Amino acid sequence: MKNRFKVLRAERDWTQADLAAELDVSRQTIIAIEKGKYDPSLSLAFKAAKLFEMPIEAIFQAPESI
Amino acid sequence: MLTSGFNKYAIRYLTIKRVSSARLTLGKTKKGNDMNDIQTKKTNNSIAKKSKRNTKSLAIWTSAWLVSLAIVAFGPVLLWDYHQAISLCTIGLNVIMGYKMIMANKQHLEDLDELQQRIHLVAMAMSLGVSIVFGAVYGLLESIRLVEFQPDPSGVLFVMGISYAVSMILAHRKYS
Repeated sequence: MKNRFKVLRAERDWTQADLAAELDVSRQTIIAIEKGKYDPSLSLAFKAAKLFEMPIEAIFQAPESI
Repeated sequence: MLTSGFNKYAIRYLTIKRVSSARLTLGKTKKGNDMNDIQTKKTNNSIAKKSKRNTKSLAIWTSAWLVSLAIVAFGPVLLWDYHQAISLCTIGLNVIMGYKMIMANKQHLEDLDELQQRIHLVAMAMSLGVSIVFGAVYGLLESIRLVEFQPDPSGVLFVMGISYAVSMILAHRKYS
């Protein structure tokens, strides 16, 4: 699954550590999500959507095969 | 005249007060943002703090369990000449320390974030699988006369620990 974590974080001038703190996860998790190596749980996705003040589908894009 | 002068000062005072109040509000907003930053750092600390606290607790109880295990192993030989009551007491103490260690480990895992939990889950699955496969074959070595010695069950613990550590490293590399 693709996501816009990196772009949205950069737009807000946040570091990975800032975002990790806001979402109450480790920095490693943010790195893995940004690199697309890890798809977050639904609850974390909702948390991110709330934080970025955007709908989930504006942050995460499902693969074309779905 | 006096009243008019007073009014002038009163108006000026009120204006200054309004302006300072507005500045104060702006300051508060800025302060609010700063507070958000502080809150952010606090939250950051909260996960780091939890991890630190849990690691410390796990280290303490693991050390206590190891010490109590050493007492169970060497105490009868070196200290109390196989006195059964004392040995039973030390075994009881060892079980309590073991329980505390297990609970500390459980707490440590529960407080990890979802990716870290997944990494540990993968490592535990690998470790369990490797230990079962290794343990089963290792137990048969003597009965099928491939080795002369009686296989030591503690060997499985080493395999478990090593496979867990290797799996943790691999999983960390996968997600970083």
